[in-house]
Amino acid sequence: MEKLVLTFNKQIIKKYSFDKDNLTIGRKPENDVQIDNLAVSGHHARIDRTGTEFMLTDLQSTNGTFVNHKQIVSHTLKHGDNIQIGKHVLLFLASEKKETGVGEPVKEPDLDKTMILDTAKQRELLAKQAKPGAPPPAAATSEKIGVLSALGGSDLGEIELTKKLTRIGKADTSEIRLSGIMMAATAATISKRPSGYTIAFTGGRTKLKVNGQVVQDSMPLKDFDTIEIGSHKFQFYQKEPK
Amino acid sequence: MGTALTRSAGLTDVGLKREGNEDSLSVDESLNLYIVADGMGGHLAGEVASRTAVDLINKSYRKWKGSETPEEEIFGCPDTSLSRSGNYILSSILLANKVIYEMATEHKKYKGMGTTVAVLAVMPGLIISANAGDSPIYMIRNGRIEKISKDHNFVAEQVEMGLMTEEEAAESPMKHVLTKNLGSYEELNPDIFEIVPAKNDRFVLCSDGLTDLVTDDEILQMVEEVQDPEVLCRNFIDMALKRGGHDNTTVVTVSLSDTGKPKTGPMKKMGALLTDISTVMQKRSKKNRR
Repeated sequence: MEKLVLTFNKQIIKKYSFDKDNLTIGRKPENDVQIDNLAVSGHHARIDRTGTEFMLTDLQSTNGTFVNHKQIVSHTLKHGDNIQIGKHVLLFLASEKKETGVGEPVKEPDLDKTMILDTAKQRELLAKQAKPGAPPPAAATSEKIGVLSALGGSDLGEIELTKKLTRIGKADTSEIRLSGIMMAATAATISKRPSGYTIAFTGGRTKLKVNGQVVQDSMPLKDFDTIEIGSHKFQFYQKEPK
Repeated sequence: MGTALTRSAGLTDVGLKREGNEDSLSVDESLNLYIVADGMGGHLAGEVASRTAVDLINKSYRKWKGSETPEEEIFGCPDTSLSRSGNYILSSILLANKVIYEMATEHKKYKGMGTTVAVLAVMPGLIISANAGDSPIYMIRNGRIEKISKDHNFVAEQVEMGLMTEEEAAESPMKHVLTKNLGSYEELNPDIFEIVPAKNDRFVLCSDGLTDLVTDDEILQMVEEVQDPEVLCRNFIDMALKRGGHDNTTVVTVSLSDTGKPKTGPMKKMGALLTDISTVMQKRSKKNRR
């Protein structure tokens, strides 16, 4: 018997068999395949048996029905078709008897092997599904910019950490130049790492303190940490990029 | 110059389940440039992709770095958040991507090929880590391990967006689905980080054949136990094989023998201090005059 497999993020949620001539898909509970997600219309799509074939029809849903990444109005289902509704995917599996490869079990993709996700297509689909007010899809996760705000009557003001690596000290090559009798050429560095901004002591004669504690190697920076480098004092925070 | 900066080694193994080895690596102590690439695509195409990436990145970096080429003259548009060397690395990766992408689109036998890449460049006073895909780069410093690369796969993105927990990610069958690699798209935006080296820093670059089977904490422990880079690589490969070796496994280990900072002797320090004092005195006398 033909089957539909409901998946989300490639995880199987439920399997359905075609034990009748039609099957409805939607958010409302009266549907045969109920998908409780706001991206899914109340009555989103239906599948009808027409002789030996199965016809998928989009019921003028808000976010559309896609088969193998193409939007459809109606579509005759083939074995292995991926029906995308919102963020859910329904896999259509034809009856095994009718399969050309007699009795051959459906090949699962070898997920152990590294594959490439067609992100452009996926993001396009996600973007179409996005409801107003819903969080934007993956690509839009914007990275915040760190800022050092000088404290205590300094004229340095607000310094944006626009570089991956910011050297702080007296040297001409420093991104942030500080003066002072005991200031080292490079007293401290702030690097943007996968985990966030990290401040590091460079081992010179200038003391580095974060929130009053002396830093001997490095530590991650959090919003509103105070940083002391010699006699200079800053507050660190992160802001949204313009 | 480079000889005293690092001690390093690299090793790759086909594993116990795969027929061919699609990983490539480069350990170049003259350049202090280290690369691991994990290729994908059938019929040797994966191997071609990873080998091309490693060779091209090494070649372009050598050329640009060797002549300190101005940033405007290298491939692609320079990134202002990076140092000049950081831009050499970025451009070398973008160039490799373009070449692999063109090979994959123009030749039928290379269709669909691609590769991850993890690049570590060490120079006096600066470490550059760059990657596309899920071959990680670790830094071991002061008894702690830190991943200094970003995993470009579907589950890591889901975790970052808060749609999946770390635990779910570890179990997910989608963890090998890459969102970035060299060869699949014309455009590529690799992640690059710049870090100031510290004494005794150690680095591990590897393919996911290792990290699928060995945890970060185990990597830390193994690094701490063994000083010799070659023995360490062998230990990592043996561990992956012992645990099933389901994939090609490649490891490059790098130890800093010196941070490469220009030495400041006591006299030089003294000199700097004297200059400081004299500038302060000058400022004071100026103030007094006012």
